[in-house]
Amino acid sequence: MAVSWLRQLAARSCVPVYPVWGEHDEALLATLVLSTQIELVDSPRHASVLLVVGEIPATLRDGLKHVHDQLPSPFAVVWFRGAPLIALNAPIHVDEADRLVDTLIRTHRELMLGQRDSASRLLPDEPPNPWEGLGDDGHGGEGMMGGTPYGRPMAMNMQDDLRDGLTLDSLTFRLGPFYPALPSGLCAEITLQGDVIQSWETRHGALPQRLAPVFYAARERPVPIAELELARARYHLVQLYRGLHLAGLERIARHALSLARQLSTASRLDGLRRQLVRSGIFHLAAMDGGQLDTEMAARLGGPAARAAGLDADLRMDDASYQRLGFRPQCRTDGTVRARWEQRLAEIDQSLQLARQAEPDGLHTANTEAVETPRGPWSAKPPQDASALLDQLLPGLEWDEAMTLIASLDSREVAETSGRANI
Amino acid sequence: MELLTLVIILALTLSAGLFIQAWPLRHQPQPSYSQRIPFLGGGTPDTHAWNRYHIRYYPMTLLLIAFEMEMMFMYPWAVVFVEKGMMAVMEMGMFLAILSVGIVYAWREGVFRWQ
Repeated sequence: MAVSWLRQLAARSCVPVYPVWGEHDEALLATLVLSTQIELVDSPRHASVLLVVGEIPATLRDGLKHVHDQLPSPFAVVWFRGAPLIALNAPIHVDEADRLVDTLIRTHRELMLGQRDSASRLLPDEPPNPWEGLGDDGHGGEGMMGGTPYGRPMAMNMQDDLRDGLTLDSLTFRLGPFYPALPSGLCAEITLQGDVIQSWETRHGALPQRLAPVFYAARERPVPIAELELARARYHLVQLYRGLHLAGLERIARHALSLARQLSTASRLDGLRRQLVRSGIFHLAAMDGGQLDTEMAARLGGPAARAAGLDADLRMDDASYQRLGFRPQCRTDGTVRARWEQRLAEIDQSLQLARQAEPDGLHTANTEAVETPRGPWSAKPPQDASALLDQLLPGLEWDEAMTLIASLDSREVAETSGRANI
Repeated sequence: MELLTLVIILALTLSAGLFIQAWPLRHQPQPSYSQRIPFLGGGTPDTHAWNRYHIRYYPMTLLLIAFEMEMMFMYPWAVVFVEKGMMAVMEMGMFLAILSVGIVYAWREGVFRWQ
């Protein structure tokens, strides 16, 4: 009776969903985050439904299996516009965006009420490193250290410490490809000494991102500047959401996303900016780090380059933008704080440009080279720059590293817009 | 006797509570090995997480103990100070000098620079 009552309560609760983002664009994120019945969680251990969005490349499917198996029972997997793993029987597959939330809620209800069986595990139920039973504490060696307990070695490989010379055991592991604080697809082998990153080797770059369709259209024909600039501001607001979510400022993060969803030429950034200042995020010590040199900034392009003082923006070459008196805004520091301030300034600037261009229905003049919110796209779209992290992250503490990654947009831009409204 | 009765009642209530809580879960399988590995977003660890880790506030705690010992000794010292006179002052001076060496050393090592 009591269990039945608890089941009923659980079935009515918010659906804890762990999302795995394949190739997609950002429109779906706002739908899920702003839904009152869905809660996107940061660990599969808190989720009852694993949502796999878009296609997952074959090279990342082992990582997906690990994440899949870490959901507590009972759980289910919903595949949104992607081919399910072959090992699964009777997968839940959704193609229409407007059916997704309902499917997630229904799946959760069925799981909680016992009307649906939990998905089966994909990996064998065997210890990855079997117990060897050696040593006083069963850790496989003599004394407190040494040996290979459960077949896995102790963290004993000494490396020179980067911070203050106090050498400790270094801890090596592979993070990603579906770690929530990293861009989807980014996979790295990391060695930590305490909370300091000793080394960071990017093993797999982030998955390409799809921009709003208007950016792809702008490469083929003149498009309304108002529409283009609103899409640009929307993109920056979504990036802002990710940074704020990472910082734990969930309420402001949702505000940013809700603003992105309802963005129009009448929108104002003042309220959001006020909340950001009051939250004190710009005074975090981690905001002072992550300085890019000129070469790195040029390689990244876009707002990251302008935040480091590079006066580069393809909109300057467009006759229509020249008519609007466009001048790129720049910072000089190239730090994490400068990048976030740059994004806020560019959102404001885009809204201003959209307001100026809307009454006359001004269209872009240049279709050969388009300044995307990620960077310039002339001959080819902005490329993946995840390898920059290998140089930037060693020596940083973990919180500084995650803040830096959130401020950098290193993902490649996909050549085509793919399916609409993904 | 009342206390013993109370302890027995509490123990029985606690046991019954735990039993009632565990009864519906008796058929639930143990989490699989693949579920129990550390969550690394799909990645795997090379080594155990059982390693020597430097808690960075450790020198600060040692410094706190240095000051605390000083105060712990000073209270009883203040009680006998009038009776013992100059001898107590010298003893306290020696004690403070030894502690100060530790504090000065910690200062040189940068304990007061909060990271």
